This record gives sequence, structure tokens and C-alpha cells, in this order.
Amino acid sequence: MTGVYEAVAIGEVVIAALLLIRLASGPTVSDRIVALNTISTQAALAVLFFAAFARRTIYLDVALWLASFSYLGAIVWSRYLERGLL
Amino acid sequence: MREGIVIALAAIGGFFSLTGAVGMLRMPDVYCRIQCSSMTITMGALPLLVALVVGEGPVSSYGSRALLVAALLLIVNPAASHALARAAYKTGVPMWPGAVADQVRDQVAAEAQSEAQ
Repeated sequence: MTGVYEAVAIGEVVIAALLLIRLASGPTVSDRIVALNTISTQAALAVLFFAAFARRTIYLDVALWLASFSYLGAIVWSRYLERGLL
Repeated sequence: MREGIVIALAAIGGFFSLTGAVGMLRMPDVYCRIQCSSMTITMGALPLLVALVVGEGPVSSYGSRALLVAALLLIVNPAASHALARAAYKTGVPMWPGAVADQVRDQVAAEAQSEAQ
């Protein structure tokens, strides 16, 4: 079972590395934000599966934090794009 | 039996995450990429989290955290995708030239025409 978790964690990191290409080359700011949003979700999943693989419960809170606060970033960015700084 | 279910769910999630990432790289404009991004979450991340729940049991610390993350993703991801798409449209990010429908533009044009009459 831990082999599956390890494979999933490595696969998520590879997928996040693929998305980094879009983050670097996205023609508009919105492309970059979408890519960053997806990357943070993949990172949260990778941390979660690494915690299950390594049997370290302390990393579970890191994953929960990442999953809950990355969307705040996306929403704040889109609000900034729509209305400016205020 | 349980390990088979975990492997199947992990395979489904990994496949859809990979296709979502390839779509993010290959899709022509930002709206299509947003669609790929939410597909990565709903069809890619949720089976992976369910795999963790099935593998560890829903009351273990790993499974309960996976359930929490899944509920969070289900609630917040549509809101974030919607906000991003709306912001992109309002800042005038161009659509792919082959796009066939822009219902917001059509509706705004229709309202302007009805006001002019």
C-alpha cells in the first residue's frame, strides 16, 4: 500500500513540474494564476500522500493548510485583476 | 481487495491529473485552461483522496484529513475557477480565434440595441 502512496506523490510532483512550464510561459497573468492554483492543489496532494507514505502525521496539517489557503490567493488575485488594488 | 480498489482509484486520479496537465500545456486560451484546471481537481484529485480514504479507513488521521481536503476542494474550487474566469473576461483576455460563442458579448449587444430603440 505504501508503494502506491509513494508513486502517487512522485506523480503529483512530476505533474506540478509540467505545470511550471505553463506558469513560466503563460502569455497573460490569468494563465499564470490558473497554473499556480493547480500547482498548489497538486502540492497539497503530494504532501498528503507523502505523509501517508512516510507515516508522519505532522505533514497532514501542512497539506490541509495548503489546500485551504491557496484558493484565498487565487480569489484575491482575481479581485485585484478586476478592480485594482482597493 | 482493498489494495486493488486503492490502485484502481489512484490510477484513475493519476491519469486524469496527467491529462489535465497536458491540457494546461496544449489548450489555446485561458478559458479552456481553466476548464482543464477544474477537471484536474474534480476528476484527478478527488479519486486520489478517496483512494487514501479507502486505503487508511475514514476514521484514521490520514483518511479524515483526506476527507477534509476533499470537502474543501469541492466547495472552494468552483468559486475560485469562476472568479478567475470572470476576472480574465473583464480584463479583456482574448478568446481563441476559433471560439464560436460569446454569450456575454451577445447579451450586452442586445441590451444596447433595445435601449437604443
